[in-house]
Amino acid sequence: MTIRLRDLAACFEGVIPSIIATAAPDGMPNISYLSHVVLVDDERVALSNQFLSKTATNVRANPAAAVLLVDPRDGGQYRLDVMFEQTLDSGELFEEMAIQLRATSTQVGMGEVMRLRGVDIYRVRGGQAVPSPTPSQEVSSREAGLQLMAAAAVARRVSEASDVGTIVDAVLDGLREAFSFRHAMLLLKESAGERLVTVGSRGYERSGIGSEVLVGEGIIGTAASERRPVRVSDMSRIRRFSSAVHASSDEENRTRTIALPGMPDAMSQVALPMIAHGVLRGVLFLESSQRLAFTREDEAALAVVALQAAAALALAEAEILEGPSSVPVVADQSVLTGRGFRVVHYAYDDSIFIDNEYLIKGVPGRLLMHLLRIHQREGRTEFTNREIRLSEDLRLPDIKDNLETRLLLLRRRLEEKAAPVQLLRTSRGRIRLEVAGRAVLEEATS
Amino acid sequence: MLINQDLAAFMASPVMIILGTRDGALVPEIARAVGAVVHREEGCVDLAVSEWQWSKTVANGRANGQLAVTFARPSDYVSYQVKGHATVASATAEHVALARRYIESMASTLGELGLERRVVAPWLVERDLVTLCLSVQEIFVQTPGAKAGQLIEQFP
Repeated sequence: MTIRLRDLAACFEGVIPSIIATAAPDGMPNISYLSHVVLVDDERVALSNQFLSKTATNVRANPAAAVLLVDPRDGGQYRLDVMFEQTLDSGELFEEMAIQLRATSTQVGMGEVMRLRGVDIYRVRGGQAVPSPTPSQEVSSREAGLQLMAAAAVARRVSEASDVGTIVDAVLDGLREAFSFRHAMLLLKESAGERLVTVGSRGYERSGIGSEVLVGEGIIGTAASERRPVRVSDMSRIRRFSSAVHASSDEENRTRTIALPGMPDAMSQVALPMIAHGVLRGVLFLESSQRLAFTREDEAALAVVALQAAAALALAEAEILEGPSSVPVVADQSVLTGRGFRVVHYAYDDSIFIDNEYLIKGVPGRLLMHLLRIHQREGRTEFTNREIRLSEDLRLPDIKDNLETRLLLLRRRLEEKAAPVQLLRTSRGRIRLEVAGRAVLEEATS
Repeated sequence: MLINQDLAAFMASPVMIILGTRDGALVPEIARAVGAVVHREEGCVDLAVSEWQWSKTVANGRANGQLAVTFARPSDYVSYQVKGHATVASATAEHVALARRYIESMASTLGELGLERRVVAPWLVERDLVTLCLSVQEIFVQTPGAKAGQLIEQFP
């Protein structure tokens, strides 16, 4: 072989369509574009087979085929001399390609059309560069091994963090500093299992904390439902999954929904499932305005980071269950210097509005009301996670495995809205309510 | 045999043109053309091809002439494949001028899709042009979707 397949990694990113030529036994050629070519190893490539009926028929009679790959960085073309070997309709490789195809094509409303029928495996017998009048430019590819070092640096930060909030921050700050990936968000799964909720982000105009993604929806949701990484190197063909880019607080107040942050001009995206003890805990998501921002090696390194973060988060949640048991009795009067404020709770969805500004809904909303009621009744500001978990008022059937996450969500959302009530984490398993002014609690019915 | 007017206009518009041929051992070959002239009444399409870049394709054209050509619009992937028999002729001044115009309009079409000129340059080469004169026998829809591969016209 004159060129090694692994040196053509950029050609397999699906940015510029590849081409395949085959010939029928009567000699009539067929020429077609390919949506996906995957590098299997140094001697084999896999082609997705959705509707290439003539190509599929031809190679079963005459296995010789030619494939043209294009390097999206400089337009360089490479011709592979390949032989059809077999079709796979199950297995690891098939699943990987099917998920990738599904994740990218459901967004252009072509989910059914693009359904993967099979993966055709071809043996590569040789390959040459196609003559080009412009010299191929030396594209500096990041040196292999750098991702590994970056992953180790993030892992070290995560290992030093002890609670959900600092773990989330360690991951996101680590991605920025060790990998130089500047746009990222971390979403954790709700216990009901249908939604992922943003608990931290970096690089966006709005943090989007509290915004939700349905499991199975878009790139993030697909990584969650399939429990596999999903990566796109050229978004220009894919409609944005986040509808609301220009979210305002007016919009939040009306819809009681926080919009997912996102780059309007994202070209590359990667979503990594966070799994621990066999349970999906969330999704780590990164994006970039550059084409090909995330390589296969980046994806592998980020997958390790996501899995380690999942383990750390699971451990942090589990430790909380064994946290301090004594309920603080000090009725320390918090400073009531500010003006009064109105907190309205809608029971039907547990949404909370503070001075007519939407804050949050669901369990975190219920939690805040609970804490404020105790505060009003007893003047108490210190709470333990354990007491919250055991509280019967809260009707929390499923809270035990991610109370910390919900508290974090509530805490960050209060911070972001600069609300007159703030939540502080004082020590492991303990929180403090800081209330500026007298809260007027109201129950709304509609 | 008459080529449908809409299809003829499509083939001559800024669409990517890829060619499939094969050698005596039925080993397929790929190439790109830089411009097409459709002779609707004769059912023929002239394709401008750089022999410098795609020598094997031109050799196959001379040896057996069996040719498949896919025309694909990059903005929406609307594609047609035509198949038939081709002969190789030297490029006329008209074909050279056609290739120039095609390269110019194709580069700007691809530019609108975010592809820089330096990236598309290796696909749009006019060195040592020859003309493949294709006598069309079959036309297929090739747009991705349920109808892909469907035969829409066949000339005896």
